[in-house]
Amino acid sequence: MDTLTRKRPRHSPMARLSRMQQDGKLTTILFFLPPALVLFTIFVIWPIINAAHLSFFKWSGYGEVTNFVGMQNYQRLVGHSVFHQSMWNSLKLVLASILIQIPLALAMALLIYRKTTVNTAFRLIFFAPYILAEIATGLIWSFIFDGDYGVSGQIATALGIEPIYILADRQYAFMAIITVIVWKYFGYHMMIFIAALQAVPSDLIEAADIDGAGPWQKVFYVKLPLIAHAIKLSAFFAIIGALQVFDIIIPLTNGGPSNSTHSIVSYLYTYGLAQLNVGYGSAVGVVLFILCLVSAFGYRRLALTKGDVL
Amino acid sequence: MRSLLLGAATALGMIFAGSAWAETVRILTIETNTPGARDYYTNAIKAFEAANPDVKIQFDYMDDTSFKSKLPTLLQSSSRPDAFFTWTGGVFHEQAEAGVLKDISAQMDENARAQYAPAGITAHTYKGKLYGVPLYAAGVALFYNKALLAKANVDPKSIKTWDDFLGAVKKVKAAGITPVVLGGKDKWPIAFYYGYLATRFAGTAGIAAADRGENGGFGNPDFVKAGGAFKQLVDLEPFQPGFMDTTQNKAAGLFGDAKGAFYLMGNFFIGVQAKNSTSGKGLGDDLDFIPFPAVAGGKGDANDTFGGVNGWLITKDAAPSTVKFLRFLTSKENQLEGGKLGIWLPIAKDAQANIQDPRLRGIGELLAKAPHHQLYLDQALGASVGAALNDAAAEIATGDITPEEAAQKVEEAREMR
Amino acid sequence: MTRSGFFPALLRAAVLSIVAGIVILPLLSTFLGGFKTMGELRSSPFGIPAIWDLSTYSDILFSPLFWTYMRNSLVVSLSAVVLTLLSASMAAYVFAQIRFFGSRYIQSYLLLGLMFPFATAIVPLFIQIRDLNLLDNPLGIILPQTAFSMAFAVVLLRSFFQQLPKELFEAAYVDGCGYIGFFFRFTLPLSTPILATVGTFVFVQSWNNYLLPLVVLNDRSLYTWPLGIMQFRGEFLIEWNKILAFVSLTILPALIFFTFTQKYIVAGLTRGSVKG
Repeated sequence: MDTLTRKRPRHSPMARLSRMQQDGKLTTILFFLPPALVLFTIFVIWPIINAAHLSFFKWSGYGEVTNFVGMQNYQRLVGHSVFHQSMWNSLKLVLASILIQIPLALAMALLIYRKTTVNTAFRLIFFAPYILAEIATGLIWSFIFDGDYGVSGQIATALGIEPIYILADRQYAFMAIITVIVWKYFGYHMMIFIAALQAVPSDLIEAADIDGAGPWQKVFYVKLPLIAHAIKLSAFFAIIGALQVFDIIIPLTNGGPSNSTHSIVSYLYTYGLAQLNVGYGSAVGVVLFILCLVSAFGYRRLALTKGDVL
Repeated sequence: MRSLLLGAATALGMIFAGSAWAETVRILTIETNTPGARDYYTNAIKAFEAANPDVKIQFDYMDDTSFKSKLPTLLQSSSRPDAFFTWTGGVFHEQAEAGVLKDISAQMDENARAQYAPAGITAHTYKGKLYGVPLYAAGVALFYNKALLAKANVDPKSIKTWDDFLGAVKKVKAAGITPVVLGGKDKWPIAFYYGYLATRFAGTAGIAAADRGENGGFGNPDFVKAGGAFKQLVDLEPFQPGFMDTTQNKAAGLFGDAKGAFYLMGNFFIGVQAKNSTSGKGLGDDLDFIPFPAVAGGKGDANDTFGGVNGWLITKDAAPSTVKFLRFLTSKENQLEGGKLGIWLPIAKDAQANIQDPRLRGIGELLAKAPHHQLYLDQALGASVGAALNDAAAEIATGDITPEEAAQKVEEAREMR
Repeated sequence: MTRSGFFPALLRAAVLSIVAGIVILPLLSTFLGGFKTMGELRSSPFGIPAIWDLSTYSDILFSPLFWTYMRNSLVVSLSAVVLTLLSASMAAYVFAQIRFFGSRYIQSYLLLGLMFPFATAIVPLFIQIRDLNLLDNPLGIILPQTAFSMAFAVVLLRSFFQQLPKELFEAAYVDGCGYIGFFFRFTLPLSTPILATVGTFVFVQSWNNYLLPLVVLNDRSLYTWPLGIMQFRGEFLIEWNKILAFVSLTILPALIFFTFTQKYIVAGLTRGSVKG
């Protein structure tokens, strides 16, 4: 697309503008962009700027914001071992999303993207965990992991071994969280893939059939390349989403045992909001923001070729 | 589209806005954790509204976590309630400092104040100004299961010191019984040990001094000793398996199912262990308590108690009848009724007479004769230091840090405050 | 299907059944939990209820409060879906179809919204909503939710709009169809799969959102269900069977919404005007 513009003869800005006005482009832009931009600026960007501002203050959330502390919140963050652990945990979540969640979602999407009644039923089942509210998700899974009454307790009893208290164990607790997150969110990515697969023109598949392509060949040489844009997007959402995991951790482990299972956002919630350190929480938010930004640009560099713009 | 929505919103608002009362008093409180408390409020509201037909009282209930996350924003908006539930302590001081509360010193004269236990009034006072009305007190005690202790051949009444307690724990464990049930996932039940031991070692005056940063703050030797004593208990591995994944609610149920011998908890636990047990009945008469043991060389009085003082704070621009209603709610008659129902320990003077449950009455007597009553440390010290203290106690329990490191962590949080 | 024999089909069925089984067990126990007593819920959380206790479900269904919360949630979520789809697809269309100076910058600007979850900015967001006088107003939830969904909706929609054949627009343009006309007559109808998908995501996120309504709404009559659930927590203590029953009932509207949008997740291109 870039090449197209370069071939065009250069016009002065005024000339370009008047041409745009003639063919209706300008009107479209002026009508179609503002609703999204205005809402976005008021409710997303402005609070972000304010949060960045607050991160330089010590503020409990009550009263006037007056206690300017400079970089103190950031210094404290750098030195806090629980924060280091939460960064490490978030990284593990990113890896799990890319290596487990996306492949699983893709496999399921390929199996059930065609529109049949049975497939619709499977879609419903696979997507249902995403619909289930976080509080219920945490509750039900903590039952499953319960060493006394839960599935893991029952398995241990059946095997005649000591029950394992998964969520009380530093080693297993985070694996449990990863399991729940994959369980809950793979359906989300599956839906993106299904929507993309629906858009693959069926004549291309038919052409491959006529050429005598086997099912695996069709997947790897026709379907996957044609939904590459969706896979890349989905992986991008998975990375950003993994960095922002929050609602699941609080009901499952509440960050424990010994604060070993916090994600960055659950850390922010616990140490920033729940403990009334709004300034400190904002500093964590700013760090998270920068981290997401770096990942996004890194991803754009690594995974996206020209043409796919994020 | 947007104007359509606006219209819909306005219409929706108008449907619900039709209030006929001259004055509405809105009160926000937490989910009650004792049976019958909600009925008690409802009855008191009915009685007040009958006597004051032009006033409408509206109670909103909210779970602990939501309540705490909502309060900072809510209090700074115009839709703040007229009064809200408080655990007093550090968070109350911040709210008073921020100017979102109403000084009711003038409305509560000497006579009015004299109706309450002095500790209740003090807890709602900040820098000489009274901002609230006390509702009840809570005391923490060491509960035990009579049957299990008898089986292990332990006489609970002989436990006077911390060393006695450690000895009893060893005996119970040797008898093949889980000595202590603990709801570690919530952290604060663990901090009860740390906090009570600190009350014994440092005394209430020592805790207050540490809070001001004197004598090395929370890093001073008394707090290290408190952590060390707790560590002695932890080293006996007395807790049920998986205690770090056990919430206070589940742990109470386990104790109600006779899955362990001791449980350190507040008086409200009597109802909770019954309700959460598999049978719904709990231990019944097998449940009893002893006061928290004394420690050798402690600066605190061995009769000092640890627990809560709870009440209502009145917000800036509150409706005029707010204080009137709260005084009615906490009047001697109503407090007598509350005691009778076993909902809580009444804080109005001479209102303990009707308490039916012997254990609740016993804890009430402990509180009454205590020279000092130490507020739960996570409330007294404010949100961030309180949370650091809970974390430190939890990490001693999991063996992740030493008592020295624990004391240091709390002190660091205090310096950051 | 001619080439796929019996065994691949069997394998496919086996894989799907196993995954579906693992996925559905927790959901099923949520639903069944509503029929159990508290004691049974603790001793056998996954079994079939020993006695089917219908009272928990019927208590909720016959409570007028439940219906108030459901209606409020539905108003909020549907409004958020409509607003998001409309504003995001218009913006995405501009980015996909029109090349203009600053397009990339504006897109990067919108992308910033992905980097910031609700919880991070909840206090500044609250202040903003308060200053706009939108506290205790459904719009105080709908508009921020729309704004926070904007980034991912625009990115997804634009990416799909770009996959639409370019020839289509050229042909329509020759026939005298302008940009705005093309958007409503071709782009939107051809993009039903992705519109349905994005709509579902927005609906679910809005439906289950807890933190924002918590700080924005104080008036009980405006509560959405995640706040209203607190009225059902039992007189004292958390009665989990009630919570599970309540949650099961609140999944239903989202499932119905999903089933409804599924109808539109069909191959728009084969049905649409490309072939015709």
